[in-house]
Amino acid sequence: MRRGVGLTLLAAALSLVVSSCGSGVIDKSTDGVPPAEATGTLRVLLPSFPPSTTGREEFAKVVADFNKVYPKMKVEPDFATYKNLNEKLSTSIAAGIPYDVMVTGVGWVQPFASKRIFADLGDYGVTPDVIKEKSLGALIPAATYDGKLYAYPLVADARAVALRKSAFREAGLDPDKPPTSLAEIKTAAEKLTKRDADGNITRSGFDLASATGFRQSFTTFLASTGTPLYVGGEPNFNNQQGLDTLLWIKSMINNVQPYGQQNAAQQPLVFSGEAAMGIVNGGIDCSEKGVGQKVCDDLEFFRFDSGKEIEYVGGDLASIGSRSRHKDAAWAFIQELTKPTTLDAIAKLNKKIPAYKDASNSPQAKSNPLSQFVADGLVYAVNENEVPSNWLEMRGNFDIQLTQAVLGQKDPAKVLANLAGQSR
Amino acid sequence: MSTTLERPALESPRTVAPGKDSRTLVKSQVRAGWALLAPALLHSGIFIVIPVIAVLVLSLTDYSFGDTWAWVGFSNYTDLFRDVDFHASLWHTVLYAIVVIPISMAIALAIAIGLNQKIRGLGFFRTAFYIPTVTATVAVATIWLWIYNPGSGLANGFLSLFGFAPNRWLADPATALPSLMVVGIWQGLGTKVIIYLAALQGVSRDLLESAQLDGANRWQRFVNVTWPAIGPVQFFVLITSIVGTFQVFDLVYVMTQGGPGSETRVLVMDIYQNAFQDLKLGYASAETVIMMVVIAVFILVGRLLQKADVND
Repeated sequence: MRRGVGLTLLAAALSLVVSSCGSGVIDKSTDGVPPAEATGTLRVLLPSFPPSTTGREEFAKVVADFNKVYPKMKVEPDFATYKNLNEKLSTSIAAGIPYDVMVTGVGWVQPFASKRIFADLGDYGVTPDVIKEKSLGALIPAATYDGKLYAYPLVADARAVALRKSAFREAGLDPDKPPTSLAEIKTAAEKLTKRDADGNITRSGFDLASATGFRQSFTTFLASTGTPLYVGGEPNFNNQQGLDTLLWIKSMINNVQPYGQQNAAQQPLVFSGEAAMGIVNGGIDCSEKGVGQKVCDDLEFFRFDSGKEIEYVGGDLASIGSRSRHKDAAWAFIQELTKPTTLDAIAKLNKKIPAYKDASNSPQAKSNPLSQFVADGLVYAVNENEVPSNWLEMRGNFDIQLTQAVLGQKDPAKVLANLAGQSR
Repeated sequence: MSTTLERPALESPRTVAPGKDSRTLVKSQVRAGWALLAPALLHSGIFIVIPVIAVLVLSLTDYSFGDTWAWVGFSNYTDLFRDVDFHASLWHTVLYAIVVIPISMAIALAIAIGLNQKIRGLGFFRTAFYIPTVTATVAVATIWLWIYNPGSGLANGFLSLFGFAPNRWLADPATALPSLMVVGIWQGLGTKVIIYLAALQGVSRDLLESAQLDGANRWQRFVNVTWPAIGPVQFFVLITSIVGTFQVFDLVYVMTQGGPGSETRVLVMDIYQNAFQDLKLGYASAETVIMMVVIAVFILVGRLLQKADVND
């Protein structure tokens, strides 16, 4: 009898511990409550503000504006990076305390929308037409799942190609006529590659910016042939164009660039002179704190064009958590995030392009020639397009299996067939 | 002058029967035992038993952090047997364990024997060998990343003195895993050395002196006296090493992220990838169960080898 009582008490204590761990921090819902009366904590996960002093100061301005509408609500930021975004999301869901506002990137929306982790923004009047009108139409496919919009673009992360004029002239090439097709790039890159007496590459002819995986570069090169990676969630790379693209990458690695090459600062190698030509992200600091005006003057920017002129564009996309108990407040916070002044600040912090209608005239675009170039080229935007719902799994699969094909460990045709089969 | 203190007589003699008295004593001892065990049991229950049960249950579901989930029976397990990434991860982990454990144990024992001698600077050497153990793996990995840097790293710089061509240690599929093994061996030495050192200092001096008087040389004394005496410690080091090497993750995560391709992808890395990057928690749980079974098999083999050694 006494043993039974003891066990019951122990079980009750355990239940208390477990239940308090699971749900003790969840607020009461504020949806439908007047903003001035709403209380609670808005949990925000975002990689858009670096956790530096400047990043925190800019975020504090957004919170201050939000608090003018929701004065009694606290905002709890989680300054994630794209590297740990999934861990943060999954562990928050598992812990039963999901974020209210989540900023993710291209390729995240469909998987999370399919799992009903993101809320349909249609409830707040956001439609593809609204995005076309106020934001970047190029990011609509990345924010759409099953015909509904689940994310609002904040900034575009655009990539271009850059060449060093001096290196081109030195190799007898005309920097005013940049190579744009895959075949032209390979020919030029081979001429631009420098080697030491032992044959080791001392300056790469072309930086594929693929030290951590070939997924994005494969997507970019394939798209330049007019072939998007996915169409309507179905694979579109297990074909001749896909194979040719993969074989082209394979022919470049350890020929014009050593596999895995990147510098300590993880900056584009063409900026540092470690490559004569290569993929660059959407901004450059021409001041003496950055690469310097001399280097900037030596750079020429262009886009890939193997039949279609393209610019790879990723971006930051803001969503509302479907399990949020503060959805109205979350939407109000996203509205603060998408104010032009905030978007300009985010763009500056991350060297990205603000996702508003006239991005070419944004302060970030005006601040440096590369940002201006990619902002002007947003009409050529491509990315992974309409990815399947298991894209989060496929991202890793692409990186691993494309690398295996490039390094000659697996047959490229079989790799593409396998990846197509794994896409669901 | 002295005073004799006498035990005062009990006011009323105990009337409890001797048998009942001992039963009461045993009961109170049992209660005290359970009371002392309770915190540890509670801790184990919450942080070991419940998670293990949760993993077993989750491994039979397709849970992926979404709103819905379903029982899938053993399909996660059958899928794992067709999963090439899992096969690669398992193989790399087993290979890592097979190489790292014996080499690190042998080196650690050799160092411990050296440190068990009366040499100058003993304290310095003991500290030096233990430092890698107390240093954060991320710091260790960062230093080794520099050592392995193909352009300006110490490894290539040193080898170039002997005319060797630079190697792309972590970027070359042929050298990436062996490079990690070297770091794993180096990092794990400290703990093993300390344990071996304690064991060596516990070896009976009488037995060693007797063997010496019987004419045994150093090697014979080591094989016939020291080695059997440190047997239980060997087993302890072996078990902790098996568990440690199978759980290797942080080193791989910081240094290679499992690459190039999947050449350094290990089991915990694959579990992490499936659970927190691909959001397949059910699948990752099945993988965890298999990892537990594999570790258990390795420990069993180690135990059998230990028994065989003792019987010899």
